[in-house]
Amino acid sequence: MKGYHLGELEELVLLIVGILDQEAYGVSVAEEIKSQTGRKVNISAIHTVLNRLEEKGFVRSHMGGATEERGGRRKRLFSLSASGRTAINEVKMMRNRLYDQLPPLALDFTNG
Amino acid sequence: MDKKRNHYPPRLADRFLEFYCLPDRLEQIQGDAYEIFYLDLEEKGLAFARFRFIFHVFSFFKWSNIGFSKFMYLKTNNTVMIRSYFKIGWRNILKQKGTTFISVFGLSCAVGCCIVAYLFIANIWFKGLNQPNKDEIYQLVYTSEEAEGLVTYGTVAEPVSELIPNTLNQVKNQTKVLYEFPLLIQDNESFFQRSIYADPSFMEMFKYRMEFGYPGALKEPDQVILTHQLSEKLFGDMHPLGQELSLVINGEEKLFKVGGVLEDLKDMDMFTFDLIVNFESHPHTITDIPLKDAWSKELWTFIQVEKGADIPRIESELERFTQIQNQVNPEKPYVDMGLIAYPDIIYNVGKIERGVRDFLGIGPQILLGTIGLFILLLAVFNYINLSILMASRRLKEIGVRKVIGSKRSQLVFQFLSENLLICFFAIFLGCLLAGFIFLPGFNEIASKNLQIDLFRDKNIWIFLGSMLLAITLITGLYPATYLSSFKPIGILKGNQKIGSKSVFTSVLLTFQFTLAIISMVAAIAFVQTNYINANRDWGYNSADKIIINVPESKDYVPLKNKLSALSSVVEVSGSQDYVGNWIREEEVEIGDEKYNVNFLDAESNYPELLDLELKQGRMFNPNLISDTQESLLVNQTFLDQLGLEFPLDQTVTIDSANYHVIGVVEDFHTTFFKNEIAPMAIRSSPDSVFNYLTLKMNPGSAEASMQSVKEIWHEIVPLGLFEGKLQTEVFEREIADVNGIAKLISFSATLSVTLALLGLFGLVSLNMTARIKDYCIRKVFGANVEDLSKKLVKRYLLIWGIAAVIGSVFSVIFISSFLDSFFAFHSGVGIIPLGFALFILLGVIITTVASQILKVIKANPSMILKSE
Repeated sequence: MKGYHLGELEELVLLIVGILDQEAYGVSVAEEIKSQTGRKVNISAIHTVLNRLEEKGFVRSHMGGATEERGGRRKRLFSLSASGRTAINEVKMMRNRLYDQLPPLALDFTNG
Repeated sequence: MDKKRNHYPPRLADRFLEFYCLPDRLEQIQGDAYEIFYLDLEEKGLAFARFRFIFHVFSFFKWSNIGFSKFMYLKTNNTVMIRSYFKIGWRNILKQKGTTFISVFGLSCAVGCCIVAYLFIANIWFKGLNQPNKDEIYQLVYTSEEAEGLVTYGTVAEPVSELIPNTLNQVKNQTKVLYEFPLLIQDNESFFQRSIYADPSFMEMFKYRMEFGYPGALKEPDQVILTHQLSEKLFGDMHPLGQELSLVINGEEKLFKVGGVLEDLKDMDMFTFDLIVNFESHPHTITDIPLKDAWSKELWTFIQVEKGADIPRIESELERFTQIQNQVNPEKPYVDMGLIAYPDIIYNVGKIERGVRDFLGIGPQILLGTIGLFILLLAVFNYINLSILMASRRLKEIGVRKVIGSKRSQLVFQFLSENLLICFFAIFLGCLLAGFIFLPGFNEIASKNLQIDLFRDKNIWIFLGSMLLAITLITGLYPATYLSSFKPIGILKGNQKIGSKSVFTSVLLTFQFTLAIISMVAAIAFVQTNYINANRDWGYNSADKIIINVPESKDYVPLKNKLSALSSVVEVSGSQDYVGNWIREEEVEIGDEKYNVNFLDAESNYPELLDLELKQGRMFNPNLISDTQESLLVNQTFLDQLGLEFPLDQTVTIDSANYHVIGVVEDFHTTFFKNEIAPMAIRSSPDSVFNYLTLKMNPGSAEASMQSVKEIWHEIVPLGLFEGKLQTEVFEREIADVNGIAKLISFSATLSVTLALLGLFGLVSLNMTARIKDYCIRKVFGANVEDLSKKLVKRYLLIWGIAAVIGSVFSVIFISSFLDSFFAFHSGVGIIPLGFALFILLGVIITTVASQILKVIKANPSMILKSE
């Protein structure tokens, strides 16, 4: 399990970066989280998470895509790295494994 | 998209973000913040978007994002940048030596004048504030009910001082200070010297640096402490300690030894004195006088309180003295007693009677301050004009720097730093000028002892520092902001018009000319008045007369007899006061009306001896008893002001005695021309005793026989100061004063004209160099000299004309009142001073411009047009 530990927000952001594919940067990630989950996340928190993910090697980034709204400034575009995808898989698999071990619902009285 | 561009995120917050953010994160963060701003703007409106932007800026303010990048970046580069600013500035100075000389010379003259004015004013207001204990020292004062209301006195009853230790708490020390004017006799020479009689604790409360001896010398009743000046005057190069001198108060002579000499006080002490004497040595200190008499003697009393003492409490304890005083001396009750802090004494001048300081001399302060300000303004304007013109050669530099990306603030800063360099030189040279030329000259004129004391006087540093800052900013701010406001594209294309045609320059030049005119008019009018007054008829014949003082009445008759016997003396006459000095006033009654007139008591031959001119009636006849008892001579003003005609049909009553007016004399000047001629009555008194003797000498012998008169005088009055003088010299001091002021004003006028001229010269010559090609091309095409010079001269003549009108109006208004404050008799601002001033300025302008035109005439167009 070394290196694949992800926090809750980290996991969410990592997934969104994967979903947005080549278009993931601060604002678009925040927007996507909002539209997909209804959660409002502060832009500065997203920046922090993205930076941390990059440090861990789960995402890669490059500068590009200046628009007028940004006053001509470029975006830092993030994309999922191989280890990032592995991490997502790992997390998902672990979750499934754990889920499968859940006892049946209480309505099932077989276990008394 | 375009409509969004009408709004921008809050500038300040954006700046803040730029300020703190790490450079490699900035783009990303700022971009996102901007994007969100415009999203919010579309959805929720401007206010919300702005608020969110600010909120985001602060939420990004995290440790991982903070780099203070800009700050650190600037810091590392600043020293290099400033150094290169100064280097460029220095090169510019070297490149333009002429104009730099004009600026620096003008500014340093101005700084020199300002230093003198400052020292003069500071000398009055900061007097005594070098005392280390100044915050602990208080003067005791009392108020009492007088006819005109409550009056505060700076003196208190003498015994108060002895009661202080037992009555007041928190008081460390106290001293009595009595100011006296005794006759000092040393080595057969006698002088009146300002003396302070004080307790020995005086030297503990007030600290003086000693040149010789030690402050404790005052503890001995037979020792005195001299100032540096007095010691030098009495003993010269001799070692003063242990030397003997004697002081005479009311005829009592007392022998003292010199116990110490103070270092030069430089006129900066609160008390103006020549020597300090132990209080016990004062002849009036007799212990066994009645209590009431002791309490009615008053003198200055100072206390030194302990650190952090409760002043209101001490003031309430003073109540005790009020009670004692009112018991002992009920005719003169105190209403209240109080304390005045030592540094506040100066602010209470005029509010306190019999205080330590009773005179501020606002007039000379204003005069000097105005002169300093005039010269400073002239120099500053010169500098502004020249620096704008000079910068026109550097327009390309400005343009290139702007294109490369210099901010405007950086350019302003660069110009200011060059200014700072020039101003620093100016201040430095100004100090030298003031110290070695202006101050010695001024000290001689004003008989002062002002000095620049860079080591001990911290105020002068504050003054110089603020001068440096102020001049730098005033001279630099306008040119710097003006020059840095140009658009680079205009400069580099060569479209930028700059230079002497600007209205601003013309306004400054007009102002300079106006100042020059005003100062010239002042100087010329003053000198003219002086000249006229020097030749003014005094109303009597002042030649061949000696006036001597009679110190005591017992000496009068022997003096008169002895002097009459002198061969060169023609006639002797006594008088209570003498013509040429202040004369006492009396109230006269004519019918029911009362008037105050000058009243001169004299022997009956005095008017004739003085050669007063008789207008009507007759002089006194010494042989008529009625003439010596009930007759008056009056002057013409007496009749004019009182509305009378000679002969008078009624008698004049003075002090309930009736007098007949037997004659009228022409007006004559008893005091200097500063004062109007007052109505005057002369009474001849029989054989009484007078204060002064006037000797009429053989023609031409007055000056020569002064010595023998003095010897005779000293035979009869061994302990006294001979104050004999020639009648021709009675106004000597006033004339010296007025001449000093005339010198001062003439100097400042010369300086201001020189500065205005230099400024004009710089302006014209810079202008000329810039446009010499223009003129040469005109010349080639056949313009004659007349056309060329007309073009140049016209503008300056116009400025001269405007300045002449403004200057004349101001001069007439201000200079007249200025003259009024010095003379009751002056010619006013007439055609002579105005005409002269305008003419001189015109001449100066034309010469300056002509010298430049000559340059064009001499210039060979082919040479000039060929070069470059």
